[in-house]
Amino acid sequence: MIWLIIAAMTLILFFNRYLFLEPRLPIRLNRGVKEFLGFAVPGMLTAICGPIIFIKDHTLDVSLTNPYLLAGLCAIGLMAWSRNVLLSVVSSVALFYLFRAWL
Amino acid sequence: MPSTLPRVAFIRGAIACLPLTLACAPWGLLAGSTAIDAQLSPAQSQGLSLFVFAGAAQLVAIGMIKGGAGAISILLTTLLLTSQHLLYAMHLRPMVAPLPARWRFGLGFLLTDEFFALVSPMDRQTFNRWYALGVGLCMYVGWNLFTCLGIVVGQSIPGLDQLGLEFSIAATFIALITPVVRSLPSVVCVAVSLFAVVLFSYWRWESAIVLAGLAGMAAGYVCKRLGVYFS
Repeated sequence: MIWLIIAAMTLILFFNRYLFLEPRLPIRLNRGVKEFLGFAVPGMLTAICGPIIFIKDHTLDVSLTNPYLLAGLCAIGLMAWSRNVLLSVVSSVALFYLFRAWL
Repeated sequence: MPSTLPRVAFIRGAIACLPLTLACAPWGLLAGSTAIDAQLSPAQSQGLSLFVFAGAAQLVAIGMIKGGAGAISILLTTLLLTSQHLLYAMHLRPMVAPLPARWRFGLGFLLTDEFFALVSPMDRQTFNRWYALGVGLCMYVGWNLFTCLGIVVGQSIPGLDQLGLEFSIAATFIALITPVVRSLPSVVCVAVSLFAVVLFSYWRWESAIVLAGLAGMAAGYVCKRLGVYFS
């Protein structure tokens, strides 16, 4: 049963990944679609971050005692200031554990 | 860049992806250890990373298996949760679709959030298939090594899922989003996406991430069009 689920998940993932890479699929992207997809990085990545930062055990936490939120804001500041992905990630993760220990 | 030696481009891609791969270590460890925790065999736990190779979908599926969910609902959730790959592929289509079949299948299989983040800034002139392969394979090998490590040592660390390890993923994505947000439409896109995803996840919609992402993208697009129209 588990192996069947794994096999089906593999097919689903490959379908989602490959569908629009197939050249025989008759779609052409006009300027509007390309502009729309230009927002894919900020739009989708923000959507993945949102629940990690604000939702804990199905409850919403928007207070400033939420270590995820505080460290997330620090990550934005660090990245805007340093323009260095690795430095920002490592420092904000360290800050996250500091905040979690204090709050 | 198209004239760059394949080996050089491949190594450059792998190095570019190294920080992101390391940032995924906690998730890989979790994917391995939580699978064991959900009574999967070590082979099945590694199989998820070897064949499915999708962090969020793996962790959600493992959680659902542990919670006793049926196969159909697990698969439907997987389909919705990973449908952002459709958008990624559409974005990469001009570069990847003209390649030979083995390259399309290979790069298609390796397409992840991180792959997209690193490869999508390239256009048809700067795109290099070897660079993309380096990015994708670095992620694939790293992800599977960390899963394996999670299977081996995860069992000896109790309460691994309570350590807040997932923050490293949020921190990574924040570092990738921040430089892209330079105009009013992109600010609107991020704000709408964030508000929508928090609302939808609070309502426990299984497709929260995809729908919120699309809402943010639509808002950014409309804002940009309005700006062009009124200027």
